[in-house]
Amino acid sequence: MTKKPSLAAPIGSALFMGLGHIAVLKQYVKGIIFAIFEIIVLINASKIVTAIKGLITLGEQKNHLPVAQRDNSTWMMLDGLIACVVLVIIIIVYVINVTDARRHGLKLEKSGEYQSTREFLNDLGEKAFAYTALSPAFVMISFFVVIPLVFAILLAFTNYSAPSHIPPNNTVDWVGLQTFKEMLQMKNYSQGFARTAVWTFEWALIGTLTCYFGGMFIALALNDKKIKIAGVFRTVFILPYAVPGMISLFIWAILLNGQFGPITRGLREIGVVDWLRSIGVLQKDAIPWLSETNLARVMLLVVNLWLGFPYFMLMITGIMTSMPQDVFEAATIDGANKSQQFRYITLPLLLYQTIPLMIMSFSYNMNNFGGVYFLTNGNPPDTITTQSFAGTTDTLITWMYKLTLEQRLYNRASVVALLLFIVVAPFAIYNFMQTKSFKEGEL
Amino acid sequence: MMKKAMSIARYVLIYAFFILLALIVLYPIAFAIAGAFNKGKSLASMNVLPIPNNPTTDNFTRLFTTTNYISWYKNSLFIACVNTLLTTVIVLITAYIFSRFKFRFKKAAMVSFLILQMFPSAVGMIAIYIILNRLGLSDNFMGLILVYTAGNIPYNTWLLKGYFDTIPKSIDEAAKIDGAGNLTTFLKVILPNTLPMVAFLAVTSFTQPWMDFILPRFILRSDKNKTLAVGLFEMINGRSNDNFTMFAAGALLIAVPFVIIFAINQKYLVRIMSAGAVKE
Repeated sequence: MTKKPSLAAPIGSALFMGLGHIAVLKQYVKGIIFAIFEIIVLINASKIVTAIKGLITLGEQKNHLPVAQRDNSTWMMLDGLIACVVLVIIIIVYVINVTDARRHGLKLEKSGEYQSTREFLNDLGEKAFAYTALSPAFVMISFFVVIPLVFAILLAFTNYSAPSHIPPNNTVDWVGLQTFKEMLQMKNYSQGFARTAVWTFEWALIGTLTCYFGGMFIALALNDKKIKIAGVFRTVFILPYAVPGMISLFIWAILLNGQFGPITRGLREIGVVDWLRSIGVLQKDAIPWLSETNLARVMLLVVNLWLGFPYFMLMITGIMTSMPQDVFEAATIDGANKSQQFRYITLPLLLYQTIPLMIMSFSYNMNNFGGVYFLTNGNPPDTITTQSFAGTTDTLITWMYKLTLEQRLYNRASVVALLLFIVVAPFAIYNFMQTKSFKEGEL
Repeated sequence: MMKKAMSIARYVLIYAFFILLALIVLYPIAFAIAGAFNKGKSLASMNVLPIPNNPTTDNFTRLFTTTNYISWYKNSLFIACVNTLLTTVIVLITAYIFSRFKFRFKKAAMVSFLILQMFPSAVGMIAIYIILNRLGLSDNFMGLILVYTAGNIPYNTWLLKGYFDTIPKSIDEAAKIDGAGNLTTFLKVILPNTLPMVAFLAVTSFTQPWMDFILPRFILRSDKNKTLAVGLFEMINGRSNDNFTMFAAGALLIAVPFVIIFAINQKYLVRIMSAGAVKE
């Protein structure tokens, strides 16, 4: 056995972590560290097993106990998930332990020399610095980003919802695809989902395109050398980007108040409202800016344009100033006029450089909560809304918010979230493939 | 002659368009400023043109005495400062390690960061609420800050790692030969070269908590712990007609510092924003 350390060391370390390191490789410090790790794991093994069992059962309904002592399904689920993460870490360390023993066993066979403790410590110093420095980021990401995402996905397969499955009073159970089935069978939900998904897509697409081309148009117009006070205009046009978006949205919601809003009142004073009433477009002495579905949707896009064009204006101005001028000079010599230069040089260059940003803006808009919620709150409602709670201007994210915070239908909200994942994922992947690091194969 | 007239007409049109656009951009802002100084409480008491009736500072007084505005402001400021500090420090360290060290699972970690940053944190809000409850951090600023910071790490690490990669490794190798440790190399060599990016990171993580609504609404349940976003929303939601002028005063006090911060950082911002575009 001892003659073949490349076999004996990994087998030893597989039997008990660190055994091969100590007995075969004479790497005492490393071996002891691994061994202590395994001992800690073994001491806590029952806790890990209980937590994972809890994730599977989600507890039992114990009505005879006071509320505080009943099984809390969501906490059990959380503990179970954390235990899974810990288990993955344990498995990784175990695998490292075995492969490390194998590697050093091979080295020993080749050179016949044992690795000294000093060498190990030097090696560890560098790696330990990296791992220690990374650990806060990893702990935080696992707790507040990864686990919540997995948790949200899992909730779609439970019955966690008001009124009868809310811990700590009641337990939550795994129900498989039942929530999906329910939502599919309730006509209101499937209609609500279809309408919301289509509108979310339209909102994101039109919102991105209007802001992009609006911003581009203004950037180009301001770029004209003959415009005297371009700088002043530019500074004014940047303002919507500088003011916190939420505040602007609140102000717009007020400006667009159908009864008392200044825009309505202004139109009333110059007689437009009366005229619209006389031709039968309006029934009341108010303009339903945000309370008639189609008009509300248009206004959402208009306000979105007001908020979003400065970003693209800034960006395109920046890109245009860094464009190579010699290309334009060459084009002028070849007799290309302004519009030809724009069509064949400026536009392709701009599009090439900004398409990733457009995609990013698109996926941002898909998830833009405030742009809808603060203006219309998803209203106006219609018959579909009564059961599914999806208003006619709700997007997937605001609908999810309502299902969660207002209705406490967590499982249904999670189904919507899951579908949102599926819609967003292709863009995420596309965006990833566009990055420099991916293209150059270096991460 | 004809051509010249055409050209003049064209510029008249362009100027007219710009002036119209400037009015559309300025009107909401001017209306809110007028509202802040307007006598009277309601939206109906405002002029259509953004000129305050009988200018007064009553709205500010009312804001400070009848609402918890000052404590909301303090809360938001506190959250913003700690978030800036934590985000900047953690992202700097993480990006530095990813840029300069080789270790197992590095590639997998970078890819998962990229995928993670695509999902809005709102998706996991139920879980976040339960986790914070479990950790005893519900209705607690630290809980909210941890969630913000964690959410900021993936995207910003990518951004900053890319930036660190552009600094030649030979510089820090030279420093190491001169006997500088990892920390010294980082502080004395890398950091001074990336200050604009760090400033950008600090500004974005500072502005984030002022605008965010979903998480504080969900996590900070008690009135004394509200942030400005939630407080202002509740002030105006469904009662825009009664509280408009007071809201406008509150909004003005947030917007002014922001416009100033923005004006100071404008140059950095434009440069870094266009750095996101594909480069030849």
